Amino acid sequence: MNKFRILLGKELRELITPQIILPLVITVIVFLGLGKVIGSQVQKTQKAHELVIVDKDNTAASTIIKDALAASGFTLSEHDSFSSDEAIAAAKADKASSVVIIPAGFSHGLIAGSPQNIATYSIVQNFSIFGAQDYSRLKAGIAAVNEAISTQLISNHTGTDPAFLKNPVHTAETVVVGDKQASAAAEAILGFISSQTTFIPIILFFVITFAAQMIATTIASEKENKTLETLLSLPVKRQYIVATKMLAAGIVAAGASILYLIGMRSYISNLTGSGSSSGVHDAAVSLGLILHSSQYVLLGLSLFLAILIALAIALILGAFAEDVRGAQGLVAPMTVLILVPYLLTFFVDTQSLTPLARYAILAIPFSHPFLAGSNLMLGNYAQVWFGIGYQLLWFLALLWVATRIFTTDRIVTLKLSFGKKRKSSV
Amino acid sequence: MSQPLVHIQNLEKSYGAFQAVKGISFEVGVGEIFALIGPNGAGKSTTLRMLATLLTPSAGVAEIAGLSVTTEAEKIRYLISYLPEEAGAYKNLTGRAYLYFMAGLYAEKTEDRDRFVMRGERICALGDRLNDKISTYSKGMTRKLLLARTVMSEPKLCILDEPTSGLDVVNAMEIRQTIRNLANEGMSVLLSSHNMLEIEFLSDRVGLISDGVLHDIGTAQALKEKYHAENLEQVFIAATKS
Repeated sequence: MNKFRILLGKELRELITPQIILPLVITVIVFLGLGKVIGSQVQKTQKAHELVIVDKDNTAASTIIKDALAASGFTLSEHDSFSSDEAIAAAKADKASSVVIIPAGFSHGLIAGSPQNIATYSIVQNFSIFGAQDYSRLKAGIAAVNEAISTQLISNHTGTDPAFLKNPVHTAETVVVGDKQASAAAEAILGFISSQTTFIPIILFFVITFAAQMIATTIASEKENKTLETLLSLPVKRQYIVATKMLAAGIVAAGASILYLIGMRSYISNLTGSGSSSGVHDAAVSLGLILHSSQYVLLGLSLFLAILIALAIALILGAFAEDVRGAQGLVAPMTVLILVPYLLTFFVDTQSLTPLARYAILAIPFSHPFLAGSNLMLGNYAQVWFGIGYQLLWFLALLWVATRIFTTDRIVTLKLSFGKKRKSSV
Repeated sequence: MSQPLVHIQNLEKSYGAFQAVKGISFEVGVGEIFALIGPNGAGKSTTLRMLATLLTPSAGVAEIAGLSVTTEAEKIRYLISYLPEEAGAYKNLTGRAYLYFMAGLYAEKTEDRDRFVMRGERICALGDRLNDKISTYSKGMTRKLLLARTVMSEPKLCILDEPTSGLDVVNAMEIRQTIRNLANEGMSVLLSSHNMLEIEFLSDRVGLISDGVLHDIGTAQALKEKYHAENLEQVFIAATKS
């Protein structure tokens, strides 16, 4: 009989319970549903928006304004005889978020060379991000109006091409990454990379903490349910017990992370839309900023070692706990060790930190998978390999400690009681 | 006694400065039921846990079938089966799945596993309830399942720590009878209890342990005669006083 397989089956059965599966499935469904709702809202905001316009000037200049607003994505509903109050009432009735009133004499004023006012009214219907987009769209529409009017004025007053006068200097933007160059705007490239990699640290953080919590809980529940002593007295290698517990927690965490990944990707893609143009994508490819399969293998290796380290630490901590609650309390501080590099790599360029701070971050074995993605993109393979080697050393040391605990009587005698009276087991 | 299955000589166990077992010696023969009796904290469970290879002795000799519990623990685990006091079972499993899981870890072949499970099913006598999850079992049903698990693989030595602790009279009697029958089939049993009546019914020989010291060993009848006592409780008091 294959005892390893039997033990692994038992560990998986113990972990894959409705208590684990149900919250996971609910979370994924919520993410998918949230993504769909947000996606439909994004599509809605991309459609033409109603705008009530009152043109009391009715000249060629006011027509330029209306054309510019229409070109900015507004569907105009024109009520030239309306007062401002009537226009606002009409906008509310049509569920339009903006009103623009062009005063009489607007064109005359422009010809006389004095700046003119047009009145805008923004009707606040909610305080959501999507609601705020209505007001930015109006702002963009007014900027387009200014652009169109100034083009017309330049054209009327000079014989020069207005486009030249407005933008006499053009830039040829090139992004340089390592020894590679590509014609693209740096902002667009960074935005593209960010949209592609945002979820990686989130998933890393989730997988590591989830796996750690699970294995600590499984050891502690063996103690709490009084099954550990029986398990340890069975004719199986203690190393098998350690390995199957780690493997089962790793498998369940990986499965859970794939589910979360699906939910998260759907949520993020709905939130950001398909986003970038193929030109930006091509530029990112030529800059080596799209990971290829061998780089994914290195990233995966770094992540795998981080998970193994977390499992080994949690296994050791779980051995100290007397019950499941105690185990979760012991593992909780470890999440800080994962949270620090996660947040730092998310917000800070670690290369810009002081040497002491940088080495402190590199000393945390969980930092390396968070750093591996950008290091691979930037071609810093030495740092990636160093990280993998460092993680391997950590894992071997922790595995040795965990195995020592399980192959001696420490697994039975170790306990942290957090102030509770030690129960005699003589 | 012919060649003993269990041989213990000056066995000690300390936790830091606290000495739980203070140099005890005894032997258990093949097919014999040997009981350690004593109050809570006497050192019974620690002794059994050392023989079950869970705890490492601090000093002395502890051998099962000539194998040292200190240096040959892995080999010993193939010969023994241990039922801890207040042991639990995996509650997400059905009773039958639990027996299959445990039998699979003792058996080398599928046929052996199936034979062990059949034996376990017969011994626990839970019938159709074996198809239910263990979380739905009463304490008595769980204990019967665990006892069946302990003995189904036909170990050379069964180590039973307070086998009837917390059970009602009917369940306790059934379990005692099962243990007796198994010993009659040739299985050696080392058990602990602080229930003197139970020990008198079950055991071939008794060891009186208190405060980590083994005060006397003998059959229940011989001990009663030696201490001029009517029952084992009086024997225990007399032996530990002297």
